[in-house]
Amino acid sequence: MRLLTHNYMQSTVKGTERGYPLKIEATKIEFEASPFDAEFIQALLPKIDYTTLLFALKQISENGNADLAQTIIPELPESIKEDGEGEVDEALLKKLHTVMFDIHVVEGELVCPDTGRRFNIKMGIPNMILHADEL
Amino acid sequence: EEVGQNDSVRPLDRVEARNFPPRWGTQKNLIGESDDDLDISTPETERNHVHAVYDAIATQWHHTRGKRGVLWPGATRFLQQLPKGSIVADVGCGDGKYFPAIWEEGSYVIGTDISEPLLQTSIGACASADPANVGPQNRQVSSSKTGLNARPAVAVADCMHIPLRSKSCDAAICIAVMHHLSTSPRRIRCLQELSRVVKKGGMINIQAWALEQEQGSRRKFAGTDVFVPFNAQPRYLDKVQTESKQSAKPDDNGCKGAAEMYSDAYDGAEYDERKGLVVFQRYCHMYKEGELENLVSKIDSLEIVDSGFE
Repeated sequence: MRLLTHNYMQSTVKGTERGYPLKIEATKIEFEASPFDAEFIQALLPKIDYTTLLFALKQISENGNADLAQTIIPELPESIKEDGEGEVDEALLKKLHTVMFDIHVVEGELVCPDTGRRFNIKMGIPNMILHADEL
Repeated sequence: EEVGQNDSVRPLDRVEARNFPPRWGTQKNLIGESDDDLDISTPETERNHVHAVYDAIATQWHHTRGKRGVLWPGATRFLQQLPKGSIVADVGCGDGKYFPAIWEEGSYVIGTDISEPLLQTSIGACASADPANVGPQNRQVSSSKTGLNARPAVAVADCMHIPLRSKSCDAAICIAVMHHLSTSPRRIRCLQELSRVVKKGGMINIQAWALEQEQGSRRKFAGTDVFVPFNAQPRYLDKVQTESKQSAKPDDNGCKGAAEMYSDAYDGAEYDERKGLVVFQRYCHMYKEGELENLVSKIDSLEIVDSGFE
């Protein structure tokens, strides 16, 4: 699961007020560099919840894989500044690409912020299926 | 939002058509087990004849339907019109066969499906190709999309509760899903969930099997709610291979008959001795002309932009 994907996810357990952002407790993180497309990142920016992205990045940096965090994961600014034409500096776009696309939570759990319900992640795939009593 | 009924006759489907008429009445309460208008819980029919079947046939499904990239044309056209940088929800994505079409358009897809085995087949499913050769029908992606292909964004989820934030997606597709929902409340709920996750003004494409077939088609459905057989080749069925290894003992009087072995491992599946195939029955609701549109019209937030049959 990429942090970009996490950005759109929410818990659907009965009783959640909001259900996002899901906390990330990763036990296995992989880093895989992928091709950078500046135009693509620029186009996606208005569509992500930047606060959630920062939150997810913090979660990743804090738990497990401390060496991975220090060597590869870039730091992101508190907010994104655009120039007069609404464009973002390319160096920042590259950092955003890395954070959004190249960090993969392969194993671990997502945790509903309202109910504490844990969702397992296996092979990078979160399992969001609920039991009958949670609906 | 766009709604369409769709059927395209493909070589594999004709094999299925020859097994008609489908079985009737071997299952109580074929069409949902509750009269409660609001009950969207999973009926046994779907658990046994949709969820369990796709879990069992996932590998063969991916090898035959998915890898060949046989896409429903209406869905492909819809995806090719999306603005670059769109966030697309693919609800009931199966093995992710529509992902390449979305990625090549410069958009990002998040797929959900109830079958974990089927989702797992979407990982690394496409071959990398020359941009000139890349096309939605051949399940290939250009080199700039290899990262997406290696790790597609998917989650195991029920379409009754899509785990995506409200209004977070630019568009959604729901292909070959609605015909596996056996009750009106569940069909309506699926449409409501699609509407919830897509932003205001966003487009949704829904496709499902139609009851009425074109004149001259060899396919004939006996009724609105039917079982459509899927002929599984034993070599694709993991469960039996595992069990037959475990149960084979040198001092057994004889091996379990194949028929018994398969029906033990896969509840409700039958072994066709003559063809050497394990036959699963998939529950399908065939939509009459206007039926899908009628359902969509019940949801205030959805407006039909286009509908049809292909």
